[in-house]
Amino acid sequence: MSYADVAVGQLCADELVLNPAETAARLGTSRDFRHKRVDECLAVLRANMRCRYAYARMPVAVEGDVCDFGFMQVQSRALGRNLGGCAEAYIFAVTLGAQVDRLLMRLAAGSQSDRFITDALASSAAESLCECVSRQLAAGLRCRPRFSPGYGDFSINFQPLVLDRLNAGSYLGITLTDALMMVPSKSITAVMGIEI
Amino acid sequence: MNDKPLITDLIRTRRVYIDGAMGTMLHRRGLEPGQPSEMWNISHPDAVTDIHLQYLAAGCDIITANTFGANGIRYDDPEPLLRAGMACARKAADKYPGSYVALDIGPSGRLLEPLGDLAFEDAVRGFGVCARTAQECGADLIIIETMNDCYETKAALLAVKENCSLPVFVMNVYDESGKLMTGADAWAMVCMLEGMGADVIGMNCSLGPDKMLPVARQMLSHASVPVVAVPNAGLPHVRDGQTVYDMDEQSFCLYAEQLARAGVSVLGGCCGTDPNYIKLLVEKTRDIPLPDILPKNETVVSSYTHACLIGASPVLIGERINPTGKPAFKKALRDSDMDYVLAEGIRQADAGVQVLDVNVGLPEIDERAVLCECIGRLQAVTDLPLQIDTSSSEALGAAMRIYNGKPLVNSVNGKEEVMSAVFPLVRKYGGAVIALTLDESGIPSSAEQRVAIAEKIIDRAAEYGIRPCDIIVDPLAMAVSSDPNGALVTLRTVQLLHERGIRTSLGVSNISFGLPCRDKINSTFFAEALAGGLDCAIINPFSSPMMDTYYAFRALHALDTACAGYIAYASDAACDSAPSSVGDMTLRDCIEKGLSADAAAKTAELLKSVSPEDIINLHISAALNKVGDDFEHKRAYLPQLLMSADAATASFAEVKKALPPSEDTGRRMILATVHGDIHDIGKNIVRVMLESYGFGVIDLGRDVPPEKVLQAVQRSGCRLVGLSALMTTTVPAMERTIKLLHEFDPDIKVAVGGAVLNREYADMIHADVYCADAMDTVRYAEAYYAGI
Repeated sequence: MSYADVAVGQLCADELVLNPAETAARLGTSRDFRHKRVDECLAVLRANMRCRYAYARMPVAVEGDVCDFGFMQVQSRALGRNLGGCAEAYIFAVTLGAQVDRLLMRLAAGSQSDRFITDALASSAAESLCECVSRQLAAGLRCRPRFSPGYGDFSINFQPLVLDRLNAGSYLGITLTDALMMVPSKSITAVMGIEI
Repeated sequence: MNDKPLITDLIRTRRVYIDGAMGTMLHRRGLEPGQPSEMWNISHPDAVTDIHLQYLAAGCDIITANTFGANGIRYDDPEPLLRAGMACARKAADKYPGSYVALDIGPSGRLLEPLGDLAFEDAVRGFGVCARTAQECGADLIIIETMNDCYETKAALLAVKENCSLPVFVMNVYDESGKLMTGADAWAMVCMLEGMGADVIGMNCSLGPDKMLPVARQMLSHASVPVVAVPNAGLPHVRDGQTVYDMDEQSFCLYAEQLARAGVSVLGGCCGTDPNYIKLLVEKTRDIPLPDILPKNETVVSSYTHACLIGASPVLIGERINPTGKPAFKKALRDSDMDYVLAEGIRQADAGVQVLDVNVGLPEIDERAVLCECIGRLQAVTDLPLQIDTSSSEALGAAMRIYNGKPLVNSVNGKEEVMSAVFPLVRKYGGAVIALTLDESGIPSSAEQRVAIAEKIIDRAAEYGIRPCDIIVDPLAMAVSSDPNGALVTLRTVQLLHERGIRTSLGVSNISFGLPCRDKINSTFFAEALAGGLDCAIINPFSSPMMDTYYAFRALHALDTACAGYIAYASDAACDSAPSSVGDMTLRDCIEKGLSADAAAKTAELLKSVSPEDIINLHISAALNKVGDDFEHKRAYLPQLLMSADAATASFAEVKKALPPSEDTGRRMILATVHGDIHDIGKNIVRVMLESYGFGVIDLGRDVPPEKVLQAVQRSGCRLVGLSALMTTTVPAMERTIKLLHEFDPDIKVAVGGAVLNREYADMIHADVYCADAMDTVRYAEAYYAGI
């Protein structure tokens, strides 16, 4: 299989900086909450993360609520508004890898507090990875905020098309369940408009 | 077809070449990115045939039909695509007599359970149609490629083996760290794939030939079959909106030469390569001599991440997952309470064993079903290889089939009936087998006779195509209390077998049966057996004397570099016996601060002077209520609440040990995350809170079909059910479950919760109650049991 314009990359897990506000929101704590256990969970999580991403840049034709990416035509008011005025967009996918899912399963069989904390930290890490990748892609460009299938009226049903377009199964190991959930679970896909 | 040699024979005589990328070539001809390439078999067959012809002209031996994604998992009926793909390839190959056509099997695009939601047997079925069509359409071989998960690779290979008789090459995708996406290294893959009878194994995609070299070397050092490498043209980069690979054919071939010199028998090209690459590849590597492919004779078992070598440092096999003499375990098995088993598995792994024995043999249970469930659940939480321990060949076959890796099988013996039941399974699924030195005439009393039985078993296994290195002989430790010479005979047998190069294993603790302070006898016997060359020992890893012996032996026998293993073990042991740092903290403090181990220790101490009821009411409940109250008033956060709940659960477990089983309160709740939903965090939080309040929880896990929830209700008699859903897409499954339960019995109370739900939504799907969080559920359960 070959995907003519998809690029892939990876990031060292130790270099990923978690956003304190995001982490606190996921943990359900205040931003100044500190606990030894959280640090311990983060260290184990980092050892299990394999941060990877794939992206492609492509033309997009936006007319009102319809965004035509060539490989998919999305009818969505929210996405139409987000991409309005853009002639190009990135689509991208990031993942922390399957080892994180295995770690969460193992923790679930033991300590539920470790499981909860690690899950929250992993969600925050996936967001950070996504931020990091969008910053890299946006370097030197003016880009819109990223927008994911499932946000607003951008239907989750586009998830398979987005993943196929990026060859995310082969490149990143991201697959979908029948209910369209991504596995590894700490994965994110998004569209990001490029302003002319 | 006709008079050309079989591809498996040709490989032994010269280096063989597979074609280059199909996708790359199709994209050049206008296939849109993201569009399935197999569609072109029907819409543009001439283009597909032409690409095959170009590769054949470039000098490859094997062309790969354009069937990568055409399987029964992606398509309801993949057969037309498969047939059309084979027709294109055959048409091209017919112009090149002596060429070979491979039907190509790529990944399903789904992840198998337990990580994903694709059932193993559904995967086997989905790939089975590919194998059947391959044979019908005259393929010369099957190539399974670009697999990045060990379990899916097993499903595909099993499907091929069960549905056709064609030779099969298997290629996985390794990353720079030498692992598959789901964690397996090359050695683990060699282990499983050779065991199942793959003809050629190797790697493709993802890496260029330079980065593939270390993976290929690792594989070559362990493989007894030819190795294949099909690299990308380097790494993809985007230039001017187009992906380009960073290696031209010259540098590609420079590194491919190194692969050939390292001993790779079959070469080809993946993403970014074209006929020019293949042409040069053949020119540059054709004359590099083929390596001798020698059997490595390693005794090795594997999990889905790593291989475990038997015969170097002694291997510890944890014996604790076995109901014999364990009433709590028996109860757990009868109640289908897998958590007990999982906890026992994790604890043994933490204690340092390398393999876990799994025995669930109880007369009153469906051993086949329970063993399979156990294996599946254990493999979700531990990456240790497992030893499947059963006397039922039916249960054994089912468990070996779903095992992710190459299992250790316990056991076969010299009885013809047993050998003829077990060996075909080992031949089919792969495995190393423990062979007991007994036969129709019983257990011989002399070492020489036991060795004779071992040799008979090894010979008989060879008739099934099972290599001698896959037989590990257990010369049987017999109770020294009933036969004073028993230990001596066993030790001598170990020694004789070791001298003959035969691997050995012992169920060590049998030796002390009927004697007091068994550890003293066991550990001394263990030390002697190790000195005699024992390779594996089935032991209790929670026994300090046994672990002392193991670590000391390794240090004394130069198996522990710089004594690092011993030093780490000894310092851990010293820490364990040091007084706890919690000093004068109370049980309430321990629970409020979320210190599980300390809470358990304090509880055990308190039980000496305080009644179990008082501990629950005055200490555990008081602490939990304080933390729960703090949480509800936002003075404590969810992580703290959960840490306290974990500590309370640990404390409660100690109390339970002191309570007679009849005083079980009977307050139970069935919990499940609904069908299609694999997010179980909310359900797990509810569970730990319920358990910490002393409720029994029947946890059905995640992605649970409605029927399974009903079965649990019927089996347990419990009429209180909690359902969780995180995604809008799975709420309909929740509604179906509620309907099914209420049809069965309108009095069943169903509580629902999860991110997408609210009170109105819960009413709409006819739930009995909506619980906003875990504390809400606890309060509801308390009210429910107060009311009945």
